[in-house]
Amino acid sequence: MTSLGQIIAAIENYRHSGLGQVQKARTDRDLGERMLQTWREAKDKIGFTVTPTGLRLPRLALPDLDEPGEIARFLWDEGLPGEFPFLTSAYAEQYLDPGSAEPTENEKQQSGVKIGSEEPTRLFAGLGLAEDTNARFHYLSRNQRSKRLSTAFDGPTLYGVGAGADGVFGKIGEGGVAIDTIEDMERLYAGFALDQPDVSVSMTISGPAPILLAMYVAAAKHRFGSDVAAKLRGTIQADVLKEVQAQNELIFPIEPSLRFLADMVDYCSQQMPKWYPISISGYHIAEAGATPVQQAAYTLSNGFAYVDYFRNRGMDANVFGPRLSFFLDCGLDIEYIALLRICRKIWAIGMRDVYGADKRAQTLKLHTQTSGRSLIAADWPNNLTRTALELMLAYMNATNSCHSNSADEPFTTPSEEYARYAAHAQAILLEESGLFKHMMNTLQGSPGMKVVGNAVEEAILEEFREIEQQGGVLGAVERRYQRSQIQAAGYLLERQICNGVRPVVGLNRYNDPDGNWPEVHMIRTAKEKKQLQRDRLQDFEKRHAGEKLQSLDRLSTVVEQGGNVFEELIYTVEHCSLGQITERFCEVVGKFRPMV
Amino acid sequence: MPATRILTAVPICDGHDSAINTINLEFIRHGVEVVYLGYNRSARDIVRAALQEDAVAIGISTYNGGHVEFFEEVLDRLNQLRLTPMIKIFGGGGGTITAEEAKIMYARGVDRIFFAGTPLAEMLGYLRAQYRDVVQQPYERLFIGTDQYLARELTLGERGAPGSPEQIPAATKPDCKTKVIGLTGPGGAGKTTLIDELVYRFLRSRPQNQRVAILAHDPSMIGSGALLGDRATMIYSQDDRVFMRSLATRGQTGGLSPSTHRCLDILRKSELFDVILVETVGTGQEAIPFGSGALGGVDKAVLVVPPDYGSQLQLQKIAMIDSADAIVVNKSDLPGCKTAVAEIEYRIRANQKGQALLRTQANRHRDTGVDQLFESFLGRE
Ligand code: B12
Repeated sequence: MTSLGQIIAAIENYRHSGLGQVQKARTDRDLGERMLQTWREAKDKIGFTVTPTGLRLPRLALPDLDEPGEIARFLWDEGLPGEFPFLTSAYAEQYLDPGSAEPTENEKQQSGVKIGSEEPTRLFAGLGLAEDTNARFHYLSRNQRSKRLSTAFDGPTLYGVGAGADGVFGKIGEGGVAIDTIEDMERLYAGFALDQPDVSVSMTISGPAPILLAMYVAAAKHRFGSDVAAKLRGTIQADVLKEVQAQNELIFPIEPSLRFLADMVDYCSQQMPKWYPISISGYHIAEAGATPVQQAAYTLSNGFAYVDYFRNRGMDANVFGPRLSFFLDCGLDIEYIALLRICRKIWAIGMRDVYGADKRAQTLKLHTQTSGRSLIAADWPNNLTRTALELMLAYMNATNSCHSNSADEPFTTPSEEYARYAAHAQAILLEESGLFKHMMNTLQGSPGMKVVGNAVEEAILEEFREIEQQGGVLGAVERRYQRSQIQAAGYLLERQICNGVRPVVGLNRYNDPDGNWPEVHMIRTAKEKKQLQRDRLQDFEKRHAGEKLQSLDRLSTVVEQGGNVFEELIYTVEHCSLGQITERFCEVVGKFRPMV
Repeated sequence: MPATRILTAVPICDGHDSAINTINLEFIRHGVEVVYLGYNRSARDIVRAALQEDAVAIGISTYNGGHVEFFEEVLDRLNQLRLTPMIKIFGGGGGTITAEEAKIMYARGVDRIFFAGTPLAEMLGYLRAQYRDVVQQPYERLFIGTDQYLARELTLGERGAPGSPEQIPAATKPDCKTKVIGLTGPGGAGKTTLIDELVYRFLRSRPQNQRVAILAHDPSMIGSGALLGDRATMIYSQDDRVFMRSLATRGQTGGLSPSTHRCLDILRKSELFDVILVETVGTGQEAIPFGSGALGGVDKAVLVVPPDYGSQLQLQKIAMIDSADAIVVNKSDLPGCKTAVAEIEYRIRANQKGQALLRTQANRHRDTGVDQLFESFLGRE
């Protein structure tokens, strides 16, 4: 049995003992008394808030329960916000508006309400060269309390090749930002105080992730001093397994890729306590066509596979566990009414009961993105509505941060206009509407949510069993199991759109044959800019020609002798470009053999 | 009527393969032979593959931008090889390609761009209307000695007298410099990877003027489509010194296609190659796709098995073990390798034919087992 087998057993056991607990709370007077006591205490702790219309409400909504068995059931199946098994939320309070809250007795003593300091909105952006994306970052964050920058890289950067490589000229700065060197990296975040607690940076890159993060750290050191690493806040995607399954950007074979990743995670857990060195991602799996359940099952099982891998290297789940984060898709299918919260539950049970990890490692910290694939070209302003609905589902599931797609998603890197609407959709939901800012749990735990949640949970377990049959996650990967399932689901999805089984407004129904939709503003990178990127790279490589070989040889030695590759990269990037480093790695460890 | 044969791919630095996977599946379900080259592929690789596979059209699915430049590069390369307008180009990229860009692309020679929201049936209809009846005739003699001449010969060879028993050519005559090696074994043994790794060594150790050909097989039913995907998983074989051709088995059992031997003969007679590697589809226990030596048209036959093959499928029953010149236990890092090797060793000792037994881990960079295999069969002579 692989550890996934143990996780399946732990979840089955959790359900089973939950039922036992309910019975016991009813028959065992002591336990019953304790349940009532816990419930009273939980209720007593709840603070109050006053709405602009003068309504006074508790900051947490709890059901009216006075029977020990039902209290036990609630605590077991739902849990209090921020408490095991974290169905409601990862933290006790999220999204609440500090302005309207009356401080509790406790908070009065500790000088005021400490909530809502960071807004969950985090918009993915990347276009052109570093300075263009930098300008976009300043634009997007201009009105935010906290600066949450999220970086999209262009194709060549994602594949670790230099802007000067053969045949890639057209792709420079398209769909993301072109980064070749540490100097580009400095330009990219210029003007942001990366060492401050209100700035956090995320980077969507996986194949060459250690190289890019090394550039980030080295560039930050130039600007903020050599001890800045401990202060850097942010996330890098670096999820190798979902690259093999869905996103297709792996560069080195799986084994060395995992090793480079583990070196980075190890280093960050020790030296960069505020950094999330991996974002275990289902988004790409779902966008490649997977069903919601497949997304959840493959992502969670990938997560557990990382835990196994890191632990086998002697790393402590309580040390790296809290630094793992997740990234999931939220679409319009009914599963999404409960999928994200079920993921939190499964992760918590696995981490606690199979790996014996503590609370911080049990909490699944989640970034969500609304579904890009649900957005379509025909009658595209409808995409505003789709995204709003998906946002609603994501926030009902208490995501910790969220990207909302722009309505022009089917066509181009978002224009400023639609990126603004996308950000505003979140503000409208969280700030303008009263749904999320006054009270925790306003929309959680409905019968429908529970029924869907249970069905989703069972279906995820069924997928786990299949993966277990194939020898666990890595065995299944080798057999192309996840890939073939995702592809089959993707094909079915498109056929269902074609034959109308899946209604798509504006496409297979209510379509307007001579549709006269607003013109799209396509974002393109000018030829001159592409050339400028090439020139800059060439210039950098020329200036550092002297140190190049020596730096790369040092790096090879570290790879071959089993040292920490990430630590060495922080030095290598001072003198070598992304493309040079990738090339050297390929010589030493080989190339990833594509899986199709 | 022969199946329409197209090549599909996703451009360099682009991994958006969901659309093309769907389109591939739709096409093969309707009788099309699709040679799939995979994602993140350069224009050079795409054109080389289309030429060698003698595809009637190239379908490109692009999402990461730069499509005008990319299609142009593909067209330029086709032009240089005088392959336009014979090889057509079509494609799509959802909403990322604008109508104006499509116009520019049409003006340069692209046949058709499919925009977001096109029903699958419409693309299939287009393919049938435009590419199904393209007549592929032999190239003029002027092209003799080129890869495209050879590619077309193979197409015609493949079509020749379907169903009639084919004459098995004798193995390489002593004076012919081409060496033919057949690789067979069950599905999942890692044959394609092994071949690509052999090619890697060939390209590095043999003189620049030496070339290698690969004849790869994928399963298909009579009269139906096929997804020929081996090329997509190759890294080193995307090289001008390598000529690769994919064949569908078209319902024939035993690992090869009805026209394999004809194609092999054409390849050999072209005198372009120093080595030809033939890869069968995943075979069952009883298959003997090539006997050794003169029997099967190959000089050497190699059986590749994964370690779990021995215990699970009862080694005694695998017919190829007695006729192969070498048996390779690949994926030797997996459990069960020792047992498999011991069992095979016992068996071949009884055979007394001097068969070689090797262990490889082809998915490992610079595996010494593969080095050995290369040295024993393809090393310098
Ligand atoms: C799914 C998706 C992904 C998935 C891809 C999964 C996979 N394995 O394919 C994931 C999440 C991994 C992904 C990642 C990225 N993506 Co993306 N992605 C999309 C998305 C949402 C849908 C594309 C899709 O597959 N649609 C389904 C297909 C079946 O339908 P269709 O696109 O409408 O195509 C139709 C026709 O055009 C035709 N067709 C298409 N190809 C072909 C080929 C042939 C031969 C034929 C006959 C027909 C044909 O068939 C379809 C049916 O009618 C689009 C946005 C959107 N809503 O369209 C963005 C989009 C394409 N992605 C984009 C970007 C930028 C990226 C990233 C670079 C982001 C980043 N910086 O990290 C990465 C790069 C990934 C990589 N490896 O290269 C941009 C491209 C922008 C640009 N060119 O300027 C888009 C437009 C989103 C956006 N607005 O930013 N992405």
